[in-house]
Amino acid sequence: MLSVLLQQGINGIVVGSLYVLVALGLTLIYGVLVQINFAHADIVTLGAFAAYFFTFVLGGNYLASIAVALVVGAALGWLMNALIFAPLRNRGNELLPLIATIGVSIMLQNTMLAWFGPIPFAFDTPYSNDVIRVAGMFFTIQSVLIIVVSTATIGLLYAFMKFTFLGKALRAVSQDRETAGLMGINPNQLIMLTFVIASALAGMGGAMLGPVLVLTPFAGTSVIVKAFAIVIIGGFGNVEGTIIAGLLVGLIESYTTQFLDPGLIDIVVFALLLLTLALRPTGLIAEKREENV
Amino acid sequence: MTELLVAEGLELAYGEIPACRGITFHVDQGEIVTLIGANGAGKSTTLRAIAGALIPRAGMIRFRGQDITRLPSYERTRLGIALVPEGRRVFPFLTARENLELGAFKYRNDKPKVSTLLDKIFAMFPRLSERSSQNAGTLSGGEQQMLALGRAMMSEPYLLCLDEPSLGLAPMVVQDIFRTIRSINAAGTTVLLVEQNARYALETASRGYVLQTGSIIASGPCAKLKDDERVREAYLGGGAKKLFVS
Repeated sequence: MLSVLLQQGINGIVVGSLYVLVALGLTLIYGVLVQINFAHADIVTLGAFAAYFFTFVLGGNYLASIAVALVVGAALGWLMNALIFAPLRNRGNELLPLIATIGVSIMLQNTMLAWFGPIPFAFDTPYSNDVIRVAGMFFTIQSVLIIVVSTATIGLLYAFMKFTFLGKALRAVSQDRETAGLMGINPNQLIMLTFVIASALAGMGGAMLGPVLVLTPFAGTSVIVKAFAIVIIGGFGNVEGTIIAGLLVGLIESYTTQFLDPGLIDIVVFALLLLTLALRPTGLIAEKREENV
Repeated sequence: MTELLVAEGLELAYGEIPACRGITFHVDQGEIVTLIGANGAGKSTTLRAIAGALIPRAGMIRFRGQDITRLPSYERTRLGIALVPEGRRVFPFLTARENLELGAFKYRNDKPKVSTLLDKIFAMFPRLSERSSQNAGTLSGGEQQMLALGRAMMSEPYLLCLDEPSLGLAPMVVQDIFRTIRSINAAGTTVLLVEQNARYALETASRGYVLQTGSIIASGPCAKLKDDERVREAYLGGGAKKLFVS
């Protein structure tokens, strides 16, 4: 029994850490812009496809394909900001970018559909079938890889935000954009950087989600709905909260599958979302926000 | 004296709502100049235009001989203008030290310089050094004002602009802040001070401009402005004699 609990706990953390990668991007963008990028889902999908084609068509190494997906994601993030968010900023209506990103999302999905077709791609990494056994539990090398890569990435991001000048400037922009400008920080550059980082995370998340999901042009959508739930449970714009909520949702999924029924996953996750909204609308881990006038 | 800042015929507006017109003034190197006036007279608006937080509709701003009228705020910091905004506006979820470091954003590639500046500010405000790892949002009002002042000084400005530094602070703390402003000025930084508390402002500055409903209605050495009837009127609509009895 204990080993089942542990085994499912680890499975949950594997999936959860991928959710965290995707959800962090949403939170970061919301933090600096108070905007939502609906095409974030398609960056995940395109990251997965980039990794797939790099591995199976170009014959590249799967590990390297994660880096490729990261670069593809970063480039897409740069484009999203340059073509949509930057031109629509200060146009007076906050709904404009939101609706534009829904449009971009539909466009990307249908472009992928035209190219790749609706039939799911079989994305088996060379590590999916290597199993190691520790204390009665089984891990694929793939899940070890996911945990190592995502932990390292989240750690690096955290260190960047905490210890570098640029990371501190990014936090400053998300707390008070106008005052950040007075410090000599160009907010536009920092917003661009946020999009690049957020989308790079989504791209690499996609490369590791690809083998888990049913890889179709709509693969990202199933993840993004959960990522939204995670961002709300963790508190919009709250990085620590998002990490904890992401792992929590991963664990809930995994234990629901084990003890209840896999079909109930979404019901349980979104029940938690509604509960959070009803009881703690600022998120599970609310920051001590004392608003300064 | 050399001219540091010149503003000519500034016309300022928030969207369609006009706030100031015909604002002309100058600040010479080494001075403390104050803009005073009642609430809503347009002092802060004028200061925001100097710092680049608001781009004027018309008029011209020249700083050290360079036209900066349309320059964004982040470029002006590099040229040597720093603003301590109204209400302090410290970054509440960054530590006091991080707030100060960001003040020196233009020196971000010069670590030794940033730490020298930090030491200097901590020496000026020992209190901040005690609180350096605390989130700025948890500091008291006076400490936040010191932090905002220190943060502005981290960019080693030629011109320090202060927007209502006395706002919401206890009289003892206000005296402290103004003492600090004078010593910053004595060390060579030119100061442009916006203040609602005319008494403090006129005692600290050497020259002043009086604003009323978006225009400059009087100017001159502070010693003269103290006894100027128009200053009293600008605040209280005339008839008040007691304002400057200390």
